Amino acid sequence: MTRWTLVRRTLTRNPLRTTLTLLGVAVAVITFVALRTVLDAWSTGADYAAKDRLSTRHKVSYGLPLPKRYVDDIATQIPGVSKVTFCDWFGGRWAKAPNEFFANLACDSDAFAVYPEMQVDPRTLEAWKHDKQGAIIGDVLARKLGLKAGDRMTLQGSFYPGDWELRIVGTYTAPAHSPVDRSTLFFRWDYKNERVPERQRDLIGWVFTRVDDPASSARVSRAIDALFDDRDVRTATTSERSSNSTLLGGVSAILSALDIVSIIVLTIMALILGNTIAMGVREQTTEYGVLLALGFEPRDIGLLIVAEAIGLSLAGGLLGLVLAYPLVQLGLGQWLELNVGKFFPVFRISQTTALIVVGLTIVLGALAALVPAMRVGRMSVIDAIRRPA
Amino acid sequence: MLDGMASIVELHAVHKTFYRGNQPVQVLQNVDLAIADGAFDALIGPSGSGKSTLLNLIAGLDTPSSGTAIIAGSDLTRMTRRELARFRADKIGFIFQSYNLMPVLTALENVELPLLLTRLTARERRTRAHTALRIVGLDERAQHFPRQLSGGQEQRVAIARAIVHDPQILVCDEPTGDLDRASADAILDLLQRLNDEFKKTIIMVTHDPIAARRAHRICRLDKGQLH
Repeated sequence: MTRWTLVRRTLTRNPLRTTLTLLGVAVAVITFVALRTVLDAWSTGADYAAKDRLSTRHKVSYGLPLPKRYVDDIATQIPGVSKVTFCDWFGGRWAKAPNEFFANLACDSDAFAVYPEMQVDPRTLEAWKHDKQGAIIGDVLARKLGLKAGDRMTLQGSFYPGDWELRIVGTYTAPAHSPVDRSTLFFRWDYKNERVPERQRDLIGWVFTRVDDPASSARVSRAIDALFDDRDVRTATTSERSSNSTLLGGVSAILSALDIVSIIVLTIMALILGNTIAMGVREQTTEYGVLLALGFEPRDIGLLIVAEAIGLSLAGGLLGLVLAYPLVQLGLGQWLELNVGKFFPVFRISQTTALIVVGLTIVLGALAALVPAMRVGRMSVIDAIRRPA
Repeated sequence: MLDGMASIVELHAVHKTFYRGNQPVQVLQNVDLAIADGAFDALIGPSGSGKSTLLNLIAGLDTPSSGTAIIAGSDLTRMTRRELARFRADKIGFIFQSYNLMPVLTALENVELPLLLTRLTARERRTRAHTALRIVGLDERAQHFPRQLSGGQEQRVAIARAIVHDPQILVCDEPTGDLDRASADAILDLLQRLNDEFKKTIIMVTHDPIAARRAHRICRLDKGQLH
């Protein structure tokens, strides 16, 4: 027998209380992990953004269009630009399942050249270029909607009313665990442009530019905006990273709130633990008194109590972590990647989050035991032995 | 010294005062007591006479308000809390009225507890715990938990725990108080054997006159004074 035997046995003394505490800690940890992973996933886009890619939009708002001719102006008049493409938010719904939300964009047929991380079979690209009604769909979305190459689908436009007949020419994919959203549908902008009313023609949402040298991004950004400074429609160009960060800035209040909620969750966890440990210590005061009488020192008893608390906290934390993988990563994570992959392209529990959980459960366990351990340490042996449980 | 024998307990002019709020309560007054090494002494007296307080002082659980207490050659009045803990671990074996075994540990593990404070290996600790259980006649119950034992058996496990580290003094606070007559007699037989065969000094607080008669000497306490 060792002192650890005593700690282990004490933890199993009241199975119901221990189980409930373990579950309480586990639920707190699962919530904490889910919140941290939301925060991680949200910032993943910004972290992974290409440094050599610029995004140009209307200076006033994301929602206002740019003239299509700006694409050619950038390509021909700005030095240091290697490729230029464009897209427009279409905002249609699939006629067959109007409640299934997914991003659908009307794009230049060269759009994938600017986004090499999106992997498209060359034959698919070739087919797309030859088929004005062709569409390329993310493999995750295709699986979800049960679509494959050769299938036809009808989008019902909202910004651009009417039925839009499309033919799936293939899918795009991305390496596993990359932050690329695989749940978007791309179709040809020229198809859209032909069918929209005159006043909506030759307009696009964004211009995407790749520069020769990432170090020249800032200079090229300024040059693009300067080019259109004296036009009717002025532009705002930022690097993709900066653009993503701006988008994150817009939801910073939500992110801060999530941060605060995760701290509250941890506080609740510490209180649950503290309560359990305090109850256990109160019940075992006589036993601690006996240990003191046998020659154990208050420090030994304090360490036993701290070890019990850390053991309980860590066990609950690890249980929560083990449950978090199927619940948060495979359950919630897959659902988010599938349905709102634009915002949560990679919803994975990071190693850092797992390590934070392990570290915090140890620290919070020790903190929860601090007051009860100090109380026992100050108690006289005789009082401890005589104290009724 | 006591009748030419070495004293293991020497109390001189010991006073113990407790405070209830600001009100001092004299629990022990000018107690002089010498107990010979290897003695079997009983402390008797009415409730509140100071028996347990005196026992606690001898055991190093408490210190006198004044006077000197030299136990097994150590002056307890000069010891720190830590030194007192070390003293108890080395010199004293405790036997409580309500056994006070750890309910989550087996009989063997309970007996092994005091040995966690020694430098013995796990194997040596286990061997000694088995030996102590054999002495009290409970080796076959080594793997039983306290709840699976009778009161008498629990007290025998407690006695095994008290002797496993080979202390010089066994302090027994009403060791038969919770037992029926037959079990109490068995415990008293065991204590007598520990005194006779193993030469343990036994100091026993008791209300039970039959238990007290087993001692070599009976010390009466009344209102904090020895008579």
